[in-house]
Amino acid sequence: MRGERTLLHIGEYLVGRSCRRLPPEIRDERYQEWAAELPAILNDRAIRLAPYRALRMLGYAGDTLRGSALMPGRARRRPAVPSILVLGLLFAAGLVAMVWGIWNAVRAPGHELNYVQVVWSLFLVAWPISQYVRSGARMTGLIVISSGLAGEVVYIWNAVQAPGDWVNYFVAAGSFLLYLAWWLIRQWVRTGGHNAGGAGQMTAS
Amino acid sequence: MTVPLERVLRAFLDDPTAPRYGYDLMKAASLQSGTLYPLLARLEHQKLVASAWETPQQEGQRPRKYYQLTSEGIQVVRLELARTARHQRAPGHPGHLAPGSLG
Repeated sequence: MRGERTLLHIGEYLVGRSCRRLPPEIRDERYQEWAAELPAILNDRAIRLAPYRALRMLGYAGDTLRGSALMPGRARRRPAVPSILVLGLLFAAGLVAMVWGIWNAVRAPGHELNYVQVVWSLFLVAWPISQYVRSGARMTGLIVISSGLAGEVVYIWNAVQAPGDWVNYFVAAGSFLLYLAWWLIRQWVRTGGHNAGGAGQMTAS
Repeated sequence: MTVPLERVLRAFLDDPTAPRYGYDLMKAASLQSGTLYPLLARLEHQKLVASAWETPQQEGQRPRKYYQLTSEGIQVVRLELARTARHQRAPGHPGHLAPGSLG
């Protein structure tokens, strides 16, 4: 099949990501088990269409993320106290940004950036909630980073539009510092003995 | 007993002595990997299912993990499925088994 190696690499990457959430003692075994099915799915002759086989394989690999979250004995980590503080701050900042964005959208319905700000603030509110509901949901890191960047763009854009409005500078700097704090705490938690080792030791990931 | 669990057990009971691998069970039970593997892990923990790694047939081939019902598992699963079937036939059944049963 054309592009088989690339597809397998993508599948193995997804399975590897899923296995990072598992306790170290079962991580390698699960990786070997789940990754072993990828070529079998990709070469399943019962499915005639190759693109469908590829999709099925990627679906299988992606869904192991859900499987690793539901697996008995998976690594459940409570957020550290500094993380809880940052999560609380992010949640509050998200709520304020959301109210502000909605208020701005009501006042200026034709201004697209206000809607972007509402969407961004929704992500900002959703992320801390997802951390409390399921602290192992690390995919949300991606959402936080992307929404943070989007938020910075919004505030910098606002600052360019209205250079005399100090609130834009203040919020842009504040949100940047919040994200910086979140990132530093994340690094600190990672290197401070919680889940040290990670999946970097996993073979063939 | 949940519907996914029932499907997995029925797939096993199609040929109770046959070892089954994950993808095979996924197809037989029409389940996604994210549903199937946690169920298999739970069944294995309850010692109703045993697992073993295959010996690779070709060099460079990843070995697959096979699952098979244990002898105790066959008995328990048959009993539970029969109980579920009786329960479902009973008028006004709530659709779930009593606490302490599988699932």
